[in-house]
Amino acid sequence: MLKMKTAASAALIAVLSASPTLAADEDLNALRNEVEKMRQAYEQRINQLEAKLNKLEGSQKQVGEAASTPPATSRRRIADNSFNPSIGMILNGQYRQFSEGENEFAGFAVSHEGERGEEGLGIGHSEISLSANVDDKFYASSTVAIVEHAGTTETELEEVYIQTLPGAGLPVGMSVKAGRAFWTLGYLNEHHSHADDFADRPLPYRVFMNHAFNDDGVQVSYLLPTEIYSEIGGGIYRGDDFPYGGSRGSGTGAWSAFARIGGDIGDNQSWRAGAYVLSGEAETSRLSNDDSVDFTGDSDLQILDLRYVWAPTGNARDREVIVQAEYFQREEDGLYTVFDPNSGNPIATGAVDKKSDDGWYVQGVYKFSPQWRVGARYSQLMSDTTPAILLNTVLDDQGHDPEALSFMVDWTNSEFSRVRFQLNREELSSGVTDEQAILQYVMSIGAHGAHKY
Amino acid sequence: MRKMLSMIVAMIVASLLSAAPFSALAQVDILACEPEWAALAQEIGGPKVSSFSATHARQDPHHIRARPSLIAKARRADLIICSGAGLEVGWLPILLQKSGPQVQPNALGNLTASHYVPLLDTGAGVDRSMGDVHPEGNPHIHLNPHHMLPIAAQLTDRLSQLDSANAAYYQSRLQDFTLRWQQALQAWEAKAAPLKGVQVVVHHKSFSYLVDWLKMRPVASLEPKPGIPPTTSHLEGLLQQLNAAPAQLILRTPYEPEAASLWLSSKTNIPALVLPYTIDGVSDTGDLFALFERTLSLLLETVHAE
Repeated sequence: MLKMKTAASAALIAVLSASPTLAADEDLNALRNEVEKMRQAYEQRINQLEAKLNKLEGSQKQVGEAASTPPATSRRRIADNSFNPSIGMILNGQYRQFSEGENEFAGFAVSHEGERGEEGLGIGHSEISLSANVDDKFYASSTVAIVEHAGTTETELEEVYIQTLPGAGLPVGMSVKAGRAFWTLGYLNEHHSHADDFADRPLPYRVFMNHAFNDDGVQVSYLLPTEIYSEIGGGIYRGDDFPYGGSRGSGTGAWSAFARIGGDIGDNQSWRAGAYVLSGEAETSRLSNDDSVDFTGDSDLQILDLRYVWAPTGNARDREVIVQAEYFQREEDGLYTVFDPNSGNPIATGAVDKKSDDGWYVQGVYKFSPQWRVGARYSQLMSDTTPAILLNTVLDDQGHDPEALSFMVDWTNSEFSRVRFQLNREELSSGVTDEQAILQYVMSIGAHGAHKY
Repeated sequence: MRKMLSMIVAMIVASLLSAAPFSALAQVDILACEPEWAALAQEIGGPKVSSFSATHARQDPHHIRARPSLIAKARRADLIICSGAGLEVGWLPILLQKSGPQVQPNALGNLTASHYVPLLDTGAGVDRSMGDVHPEGNPHIHLNPHHMLPIAAQLTDRLSQLDSANAAYYQSRLQDFTLRWQQALQAWEAKAAPLKGVQVVVHHKSFSYLVDWLKMRPVASLEPKPGIPPTTSHLEGLLQQLNAAPAQLILRTPYEPEAASLWLSSKTNIPALVLPYTIDGVSDTGDLFALFERTLSLLLETVHAE
């Protein structure tokens, strides 16, 4: 285009200069000057364009030299993949060593996931997750855990849920989640255990929630339009997952409510606090302790949590302190039956009325260099007085409050890999001190979601 | 049980009471992922906008927690402006999850700056063994001042649509900014001529666009691979490389740890320099003009002193 214009103006000059009689000399000179100016301007722009083109060609060459350009087909394949869900996998291997052969909780009915895990080398929980936006209104996600348990490989549906997207037409800040999910309840429950700061969950989670509460249900949450962070929500559940069980499916087995607030203190500190209620009924039977304890009745849980994060240098990548604490209070009304583990015959049956058990933990983690962290955690449980009829069964606390102390150090090579060493000292029943050593790796391949606070 | 429920209710009431009174777009609420975009929003919007930066100069923008305060800010934002190209991938999605449809990706109120400028380090097939690389390209785009103009124009366009009553105001501020920026650009480029060809060691690829703009030559990186902290063996290798072929500067941002760059500087006598990188990275870098002024004067002083 520019070249054509230049040629045209050159032709114009030629025509004009070839016919001097057509105009006065003055006019002609003026015109010539004008045309000459135009020509210069165009040449300058052409030169600039050529320089830009050269630069672009040069940078393309550099890219080509740095790495061979992938064939066009591979690019096309990536485009095809864009309609596939995000796929990710978590590999979580552990080596565990225990000083005691048996380590039972005194005074508590504990289900399988709350136990200490298996000794020796193991692959723990491997998780495979798929997730994607369904359309403009819904998001769907599923996480399947493959677990090795007592020599057999089991699959567990940890999460399968749909969730409304901000475009779904609900009020801003409101979202509905339905299916099976790690529901909003305390701090840790929402998180997959591979994201935890320790290799195992603290005692209250193991005893009161059998590791985590992921019943089938629906939950609504609403982020309030306030200056500071505040969110409320609640849900209804089937009532089949611990601390419930044996749902007949008629009506709702359990419901929950929560409120959270949070904010910043200056530039480098942040916090969040929450209060939660989970209330429901184990309708027919909640089995625990390898099917040797059965509970039927109401079980209500109240939880408080607090998390505080401080980056002493301002840069959390560099150095960071995290303090986290949760308090649990449980009240149970119902009937406990204890069976003989060998014969399966009932040994004792006793009613509990407003049996109130407590538990709490506090932990601190300090990142002292970009790849290294150390942490300590203390957790404790306090059971209510044992009803006389249940004395001398596994539900008898024998005057002992279970407690555990943990220390960990972990090395994070990248966002996708972490290796951790942890020491536990657990006194779960009177006179038994179990010293544990755990070596763990957590690796992530494929899609890796953003981390929650 | 009742106690806890009443506590929950009390928390809700308390947070509602702390809410600011509702008012219709008195100011356009802008959440910027990085300080440079908050500064640009201030240039274009002036008193008609209120801008807040999710990060400050001493934070590595790759590694930010989706803090409760940011979730609340995003929910109230009319416009979110971020670098993109994967820089905020670890935290921005969490903020957007509970914010309005107007700031979701590809919506009017979601401006991804890297969509409007040519990116460096793009293309080549990537794999996580190569470190924390962004397949979309290098996201640290703001350090080529030529990039500010198309992004400013895009921001003006969005603001004019979001707050149409003030469209003419934003346009006139853009014109004013463009004029001043073009003048400054000419002055900077004239002043920066001696930096052409200067060989630099960088910590991470944070300065790629600056180095490209000033036609400096990056010869090495303190990180063995992007996002992987410097290792002793890698630094020993760099030392040998620099002894054989010296460079003139070792550059780092205010948020990158100083140890590796100081060690290499002491062994090679190459000056280690902290450049502001973004607004308030070092003193006297309160706005975008000052950011580039200071960056150039720091570079020139050090190069001249040698």
